[in-house]
Amino acid sequence: MRKSTPYVLTLPLIAAFLIFLLYPLYKVFMDSFYQASFLNPFYRKFVGLDNYKWLFTFKLFNPKMSYFLSAFWKSLVWVSGSVGIKVVLGVLGASLLNSRYLAGKKVYRTLVIIPWAIPWAMASMMWAWTLNSEFGVVNSILMNLHIVNRPVTFLSYPTTAFLTTMVVDAWMGLPFMIIMILSGLQTIPESLYEAATIDGAGDVKKFFYITIPMIKPVLLTVTLLSTVWTFNSFDIIWILTQGGPMSATETLPVAIYKVAFLMIRFGGIGKASAMTIFQVAVVTLISVFYIRTLRKGAEL
Amino acid sequence: MKNKVLKKVLYQIFAVLLMVFLLLPIYQMVITALRPANLPWKSPMPLIPEKITLSNFVTAFDIVPRLPRYLLNSFIYGIGVSVISLLVAIPAGYALARYNFRLRKPIMIFVIYANMFAPIMLLVPIYVIMKKFGLINTYLSVILSGSIFTIPLSTWLVTSYMQTIPKGIEEAALIDGCSDYSVITKIVLPMISPAMVSVFIYAFVTGWSQQFILALTLIKTDTLMPITQGLYQFFTRSSVRWNELMAAILMSTLVPVTMFLLVQRYIVKGLTSGSVKE
Repeated sequence: MRKSTPYVLTLPLIAAFLIFLLYPLYKVFMDSFYQASFLNPFYRKFVGLDNYKWLFTFKLFNPKMSYFLSAFWKSLVWVSGSVGIKVVLGVLGASLLNSRYLAGKKVYRTLVIIPWAIPWAMASMMWAWTLNSEFGVVNSILMNLHIVNRPVTFLSYPTTAFLTTMVVDAWMGLPFMIIMILSGLQTIPESLYEAATIDGAGDVKKFFYITIPMIKPVLLTVTLLSTVWTFNSFDIIWILTQGGPMSATETLPVAIYKVAFLMIRFGGIGKASAMTIFQVAVVTLISVFYIRTLRKGAEL
Repeated sequence: MKNKVLKKVLYQIFAVLLMVFLLLPIYQMVITALRPANLPWKSPMPLIPEKITLSNFVTAFDIVPRLPRYLLNSFIYGIGVSVISLLVAIPAGYALARYNFRLRKPIMIFVIYANMFAPIMLLVPIYVIMKKFGLINTYLSVILSGSIFTIPLSTWLVTSYMQTIPKGIEEAALIDGCSDYSVITKIVLPMISPAMVSVFIYAFVTGWSQQFILALTLIKTDTLMPITQGLYQFFTRSSVRWNELMAAILMSTLVPVTMFLLVQRYIVKGLTSGSVKE
């Protein structure tokens, strides 16, 4: 074994990271101090911290908060809501699919994976149709059960659009959550539950004193992973609402895209880069926690 | 006893409700794809279609004649991304699993960190770089930029698979005078074929359809668009051809969905290695 071998073998990986990850990151950082736009590729002017100032002063629709802060805030609420749904339904769903009282577990476990396998862009188009106010199945069910008298136009109002895109995102991430938590549940020895039964513990007590502590490491890992993925989520919102109505669903990724590629007059590369810095910062922060939890569990 | 029966019934109801939530859009897709396009819409839409036809699967190609082209483009993006991912991930994954070198730990940590990156975070510089090299509107732009997001997990999958194989055979080959590199091609590659298959499928499916935003930004020519963008052709100015759109989605997702279901177990294993002890 020669000493150089591992370096030769990892060279493509290192090169790929340097050229397509670290260099672009450096570029985002540098561009955030320049004024530039796709309109005129030759125009490029150093503006210092002006782009960052713009982030906190430029207002659109919302008189109380700057465009960037409002997008950042929407991202936080949207991500918390979606990840919250995923974690709660994930734990409950996985426990259900692990319960010995449930018949047909194998079938359910297979069906549960399907949404995960559907490309997000296509799943979003399917949801757009499923939520259609006149001909969507959601409204048929709601009307047939007499929960609503008139069809609901889910994506036309700011609040309902915000909640709907959140639920659709939760739908896309839920299968992954359930499968991962299920794999954690299956490692809990049955004897723990038997001992608890002898001691007279009920189902609720067993859930909080055995199940939750035992799956805590997996739960933490998947929650962090899912938070990052949700924070980066773009396809769903773009296809369902394009950030509307009235920028109600303009989370940070959607806002970055708009500022860079659509609002060419008052947006541009520099401002979008400054916004991206915050996107990267949040992802990096969560990654640090994620890597720490992984290191605790394995020799890394 | 009564308690147990009640629990069984209750759990069954919960499970069905969960499935209704998870399979709802898929159900809507199937009934819409099978419903005759000339049948007037009814509101609320009947949950069971009144009539069933397969004609939407044919007319979809009349409405969007480029459909086969979009599918071919997606296939090219998928193959490109998976080939690059394999070429980078196999040697790197092998080195990370077998050699104890100084950069090993930093690289491993960076691989995990890189796995957290999404196209939106690098979209602006990627666009600028691709523009500089005149790669906008080329297959290469989407393939190169797409690969960077599949390389981390691919490397991770190869590394964790390698770690489950005992070193014995490779060591014996080295003692017999085999060089470091021929050990890889002659002994390691055949052994890790399951990992290669899952990396291939994971990267293929991702490149095929998951990188919507990359193609949205880098591809402007109609003939180079992947299927995810081509489907927008079903949205005309006045209406959306839902029946044919759903038929097209059903046709185009069948293969990648099946492929993904086959390897999902390995992906789960790769992602949880460390946090789930088996």
